[in-house]
Amino acid sequence: MTAKRVTVKILLLLVLSDVLETFTHFCFKKAAVLAQDFSLQGLAEVAPFFRGVFSSPFLWLGLFSVLTVFIIWSTILSRIDLSVAVPIASFSYILVPVVSIAFLHERISLLRWSGIIFILLGVIFVSWSTKEEGQAHL
Amino acid sequence: MKPQVLFIIFLIVLTSLCDTITQILLKSSINRIGVSFPGKLREILRFIFRLILIPRLWIGFLFSVLSLCIWLFVLSRADLNFAFSVDSMHYIFIALASWIFLKERVGARRWLGTALIVAGIVLVSLS
Repeated sequence: MTAKRVTVKILLLLVLSDVLETFTHFCFKKAAVLAQDFSLQGLAEVAPFFRGVFSSPFLWLGLFSVLTVFIIWSTILSRIDLSVAVPIASFSYILVPVVSIAFLHERISLLRWSGIIFILLGVIFVSWSTKEEGQAHL
Repeated sequence: MKPQVLFIIFLIVLTSLCDTITQILLKSSINRIGVSFPGKLREILRFIFRLILIPRLWIGFLFSVLSLCIWLFVLSRADLNFAFSVDSMHYIFIALASWIFLKERVGARRWLGTALIVAGIVLVSLS
């Protein structure tokens, strides 16, 4: 089956895919925030909400980014296992909070930061184990 | 406030499940092609072209559209950090689904890492 070793090239592709994915999330949040004039109380307001969202240039920028991520991600998955690629994509957990602070002016508490570090530790652990098992498997 | 937060978490779990289905269908499609790492741009385009001809990929695509719709709604209500952190639930779903459906090996160390991720999710949800 596919090789399990993670090369520098794949790592760089993963980082690129993560940066683009972060950019995607940022765009979608921007599009959603701009459409928030609708209070979204009932089901009847769902349609105008999505009309507002889809008229935002941020959404289309985000969708273009999704397409690019799909091509890069498929290329990565042609080489390594899904359970290897997904944990290594943990870079987002550093990028997303940083972007949220810088551009969306959201606040992150110490507790939330520690949670993010926990998630990151777990993700490193998972990738590490996968790598060892992958080598043993070979 | 509380039930609203629970509803948002439920929606995020739903998007995680949809994303997992998308990933499993994508990976199994790629496994069917069997090409290992297309290097040149022409190879990549040929690879993507062969990939999009596989029907199950489009089923996966439908799930990702569904996920996107729910996700857009979630993001209009919740902080990006909160939403994205709870969304990390998909690490567990991916590990389980890769193990069950793709026959990938999931050892004790990986489950420990998964437990750490769950702990992180709980911490983030408390904040």
